[in-house]
Amino acid sequence: MDADNPPAAREPDPELTTAEGTEDERVWSAGRLDPMPIRKLPESPPSIHLLGPTVFLVALGVGMGETYMWPRLVLVFGPEIRWLFLIGVTLQAFVMLEMARYAMATGESIFTGAARVAKPLMWFFFGTALIVYIWPGHLSAGAGALEQITGIPWMVTAIAGLLLVGLIFTLAKVIYNLLESVLSFLIGLLVVGSSIIAAMVGQFSDVTSTLTGMVQFGYLPDAATSAAWFPIIVGSIAFAGPSGMQQMWYTLHLREKGAGMGAHIPKLRGLAHAGDEEAMPARGFMFDTDDPDEMRKWKGWRRWVTFDALLLFWGITMLVTVTFTVLAQSAARQNPNVRILIENGEREAAMNAMADSFSAAGGPLLGGIFLGFIALIGLNATLGLYDSFSRGQADMAYNFIKGVNKFRMAHIYATFLWGVIIFGILVLLFGPADGPSAILDTLAFLSAFAMGAYCVVLLLVNNIMLPKPIRPNLASNLIIGFGATFYLGMLFFSLFTYGVIPD
Amino acid sequence: MTMTETALPQREATLPQRMGELALPGALVGALAGCFAAILAVLGGQTPSWAAITTVTLAVPLAILGAGYSLLLATGLFRPGVFAPAGLYWFIGFPLARLVHELGAHSILAGQLGMPKDPLAFLAFQALVSLGFAIGFLWLHERVMPRWLLRVYEHNSRAWNVLAHYLQLAEQIQEQRDRKQTRSRRGKERSLRERVAERQGGHG
Repeated sequence: MDADNPPAAREPDPELTTAEGTEDERVWSAGRLDPMPIRKLPESPPSIHLLGPTVFLVALGVGMGETYMWPRLVLVFGPEIRWLFLIGVTLQAFVMLEMARYAMATGESIFTGAARVAKPLMWFFFGTALIVYIWPGHLSAGAGALEQITGIPWMVTAIAGLLLVGLIFTLAKVIYNLLESVLSFLIGLLVVGSSIIAAMVGQFSDVTSTLTGMVQFGYLPDAATSAAWFPIIVGSIAFAGPSGMQQMWYTLHLREKGAGMGAHIPKLRGLAHAGDEEAMPARGFMFDTDDPDEMRKWKGWRRWVTFDALLLFWGITMLVTVTFTVLAQSAARQNPNVRILIENGEREAAMNAMADSFSAAGGPLLGGIFLGFIALIGLNATLGLYDSFSRGQADMAYNFIKGVNKFRMAHIYATFLWGVIIFGILVLLFGPADGPSAILDTLAFLSAFAMGAYCVVLLLVNNIMLPKPIRPNLASNLIIGFGATFYLGMLFFSLFTYGVIPD
Repeated sequence: MTMTETALPQREATLPQRMGELALPGALVGALAGCFAAILAVLGGQTPSWAAITTVTLAVPLAILGAGYSLLLATGLFRPGVFAPAGLYWFIGFPLARLVHELGAHSILAGQLGMPKDPLAFLAFQALVSLGFAIGFLWLHERVMPRWLLRVYEHNSRAWNVLAHYLQLAEQIQEQRDRKQTRSRRGKERSLRERVAERQGGHG
């Protein structure tokens, strides 16, 4: 609890009140947690500037879905299947905007928002993150690709990478600043590099077929609804862009960036600089939504995040996946065997086949480039994922586990970070990197279920816990409602009809 | 640093030096983009001479165009961080750079000048890809340019003008930071007063 703001009267329903026992301090009461004191909303930066926490979402989101799953579907069903990708990514862009609404209005994470509705909701996400994201399986593709290029065994690179991530985040003065700089540079390279590669190996017809395929709404061949392919297609739509809990972690990065009311929350520091950390308040802040000037600033922040969502998130995700689809089409044209391998093979075999095909067509250069991108994406994902996981768990532990707030946030963050790193190293050395096979289905189920669940949480939090003037409009609610129905509906349909969980 | 604290340029550098300094960030990003393929060519097992040809024929035109972008920014024709002009610039520039790359690499490796099979389709395809390239270029340029301008503005008045745009944004961020530090200091002072009061109460 912040020394400046003693607890005010708790109200079950949200309302703007003057807190008892304070010097006429106005607060916004929402749910059963401490009310949020009213503070000034800072001015938003110009929306046109390419600066923003979306860099994390792009780093986390551009992964296997864009580089492997969708190119594979295009080779099997043709470019017309990409209309489903368009829906998946557009839906995620709206989810991003709604996640940002709560985080920018309050400076709180969506986890705290969920706890304001009902604490078990927050505990569900805490538990899900703990059992889904501690397995280091996501490292294997990137490290494997690096092994293909350099010959260094993937396990050595993976363990060295884990230790490096731990050291970087421990020594950083302000973790967010460092991570934003590193990820921005890597993503800049990824975008510039993938454009150049697409320009070198692609053809006009590849791009036009990929782009026109995105508007072939309703195209669904019979084979796509088979037990073998339907769960894969559903999984690919769900994992177009950020998947699992990545959108929820984005709210923590928005706060760290100082977006909206996040400007009133101190920044998280690395373990080596924990002593400099300011006291973390137990709740966020609200601005005066009755003040026209504050509402003007709020609209500025909404423009800023909308620009991020449309150009950076939607645009870059689309660009990378179009590039990889063009690459896959080039590979299949040059080496028809690659299509059979991609259709039947498992991930690594298919990726190697694509790399081999590029090598055959354009020399080792193209094969190396393909694998280099996979390694770069793996590095991005590792940096982003470990930071986000530790940040999210630390946020929930600090605010909701009794006694934990006696420690500094930097210490709790470091405990989760090093815990997951040490566990990851042990698993890489002695266990199955993706998790024990007995619980793989459970992990896949929880990961997909969390996406439907966070849409429901968004609807509740934004429509109940925020003041009326800044609540989402009907169209936004309908889109998020569609998301909840889609993610949960497809998950259970796939489970009950085909007995398979989308992955 | 704020605009009011920052001194205006005192001694002006020569015109070529000033222009060179302003052009450097864009040239650097353009060259980096071109070199990206060359670095991976070496990793992928190509000969150094092959990688060198790729570097020269692709990185050089991209670096020249990148320098041009930075200079247009310095003249005030483009505004920092705005996507539309950068997108339009690369929509024309990127296909040209790729055409130079294709012609140059082909003439050096095959010993004769060869146009792409369907030049119009080639240029149209490159123009489509250029939009993605423009996003990546602008992203990296925005990271390099302000830091570089901070190093050269003292002897480069044009750099100072561009920096002023970036500083307006930095000032907003600084104001937020100052407010936060003041709040934190008040919190610490209050907490100290409370501890002193507690101790006095305990002893009393």
